[in-house]
Amino acid sequence: MFDKLRDWERNRHEYAKAWKEHTGGKVLGYFCTYVPEEILYAAGVLPVRILGSHEPQDVTEPHIFGMFCPFCRDCLAQGLRGRYDYLDGIMIAQSCLHIRQAYTSWEKHRPTEFSYYLCMPHHVQSPRALPYLTEDLAQFKTAVEEWTGATITDGDLDEAIEVYNENRRLLRAVYELRKAAEPPLTGEEAMEMVIAAQMTDKAEHNQELRRILRELPNRQNGRVTGARLMIIGSEDDDTKFMNMVESCGATFVVDEHCTGTRYFWNEVEPRANRLEAIAARYIDRVPCPTKDWVERKRIAHILELAEVWNVDGAVVMQQKFCDPHELDTPAIRKALEEKGVKTLFLEFDVTVPVGQFKVRVEAFLEMLGEEDLFE
Amino acid sequence: MAEYWRWKEYRWHDAEVDWRDGELITAGVDVGSVSSQAVIMVDGELYAFSNMRTGSDSPESAKKVMDWALEGTGLTLDDIGFVVGTGYGRVNVPFSNKAITEIACHARGANFMYGPSVRTVLDMGGQDCKVIRCDERGKVSAFAMNDKCAAGTGRGMEVFADLLAISIEDVGELSLQVDEEPPPVSCTCVVFAKSEATALLREGWPKSQVLAAYCSAMAHRVVTLLEQVGIEKEFAITGGIAKNIGVVSRLEDEIGIKALRSKIDAQIAGGLGGALFAQSLLKKKLSAN
Repeated sequence: MFDKLRDWERNRHEYAKAWKEHTGGKVLGYFCTYVPEEILYAAGVLPVRILGSHEPQDVTEPHIFGMFCPFCRDCLAQGLRGRYDYLDGIMIAQSCLHIRQAYTSWEKHRPTEFSYYLCMPHHVQSPRALPYLTEDLAQFKTAVEEWTGATITDGDLDEAIEVYNENRRLLRAVYELRKAAEPPLTGEEAMEMVIAAQMTDKAEHNQELRRILRELPNRQNGRVTGARLMIIGSEDDDTKFMNMVESCGATFVVDEHCTGTRYFWNEVEPRANRLEAIAARYIDRVPCPTKDWVERKRIAHILELAEVWNVDGAVVMQQKFCDPHELDTPAIRKALEEKGVKTLFLEFDVTVPVGQFKVRVEAFLEMLGEEDLFE
Repeated sequence: MAEYWRWKEYRWHDAEVDWRDGELITAGVDVGSVSSQAVIMVDGELYAFSNMRTGSDSPESAKKVMDWALEGTGLTLDDIGFVVGTGYGRVNVPFSNKAITEIACHARGANFMYGPSVRTVLDMGGQDCKVIRCDERGKVSAFAMNDKCAAGTGRGMEVFADLLAISIEDVGELSLQVDEEPPPVSCTCVVFAKSEATALLREGWPKSQVLAAYCSAMAHRVVTLLEQVGIEKEFAITGGIAKNIGVVSRLEDEIGIKALRSKIDAQIAGGLGGALFAQSLLKKKLSAN
């Protein structure tokens, strides 16, 4: 049922190249989900998220520190190895220093015809964030217009917003089904679905989601659900890890990370000023820890997801050396444990040490389960 | 050339007991990265065990260690009602009925060895280290494991025994024979710590002092892992390093808590926990039939 999405996720470069050939349009690679894709899409550009490939590599060593997170190094490696050679542009919205280093190094060593640094404000809780970002988006829109030669009208923005909002609604509709006692899809499938959303034309992705949603409620996937897990943390597209955990007798039923719910949870609410509407969406979305202060708003959201999706335990993961997540992890674990949700903390690297993680995961599941090990 | 790291393998069985009088005979086989143990229990009492080095082939190691535990008892594998495999090679125990993680097994084993008051178990194994919190039944409530590095583990101690030409069994005692505690070696990486120790020897440090510096670095490293999970009394140590008084006493000093002692060999805790789980599972199996 998820074959097509899996194919898009696994063959992301082939998809983008075929799209380019088919439409004659431009493809832009972006580094962080704070990039307002709607504006690019309105100009006929296909935004694709740059992700790593989870292979050991040694090409980034001269360009980026070893104690920067494995994700930013893996992303840069893709650029240096020429896997994204078809990109016409790259951009980043200010998120963390590590990924920005990947972006600037890419810009220097693999220059593209368009490159843009969007100064997404960190202090999203400030009342000044919205007017600031609205203005910044106006400048960005102009830059995109100059690059593509297209004029982006309100009508174009409305269409793009609708395609993106529909995608968000459809993804949430699929997540709704995961509340069931026997979820009709695995966490691995859900992850592939969201990653695919980040690298395909949303109109096409929507079409596929609509088809899936017709069949999904009646799907019998022949699995035993086992422990209901949530996965929380930094960027995470490690489908192999999901598969390993789910083959140990558990199912991920929900997530809270930027290749999952954090990417699509909030819609753009209509406003007369379209750019302000878009800016508000990115200001008010479930925040990434780089932006989640002074008040930690994400925790309440995590607890709600854990409760509504009836979660037994949570895997709290982060990319090794990810300082923003490192700061939030103790507070998140404490809040979950206080609600009776047990947590397992893991640090991810480019490749996951399957043996080492497996024993922790199995022990965690043994801990959650009241299996008949005791008399 | 003498191999100082080579600790003595051994086996034991209770010659006073006739297993034929027992009803429930179960076993736990713990195939670790460095050593393997087989533990046989008869009606919930420790009956026999063996402890040997793990070879390159896990199924073969499991068979060998089990055969050795059975040796001289008249028991055969067929007499054992339920076998639990645990440890790094837990899925490679060909004759096991179920695999359970060593985390669960060490907690269960420690509960038997040290009594139900144990709340924190530190398993210092051959290539990793685990801190386990458990309840009065020996059920795990939280745990933490060291990451990819083997510092602070048995293998590191073996490297030091070899470097200093001191039998591994004597390392702990010798490390305490210093007038003043030296600063710990700064590197916890086994390879780097070895270079550092070589430099100290060249500076004229006696072996006891080099060992003291290493044992205290090891203890210190483990304390940071303990603090991740939090130490609650009573506290116990399992695994091979539990037998190294040089590490244990320094660790106790640093955390200010005495580790419980047991008459039972701390290295068999995992296998013992496996045999205890096997007993519960066998009872359930029999009552279901």
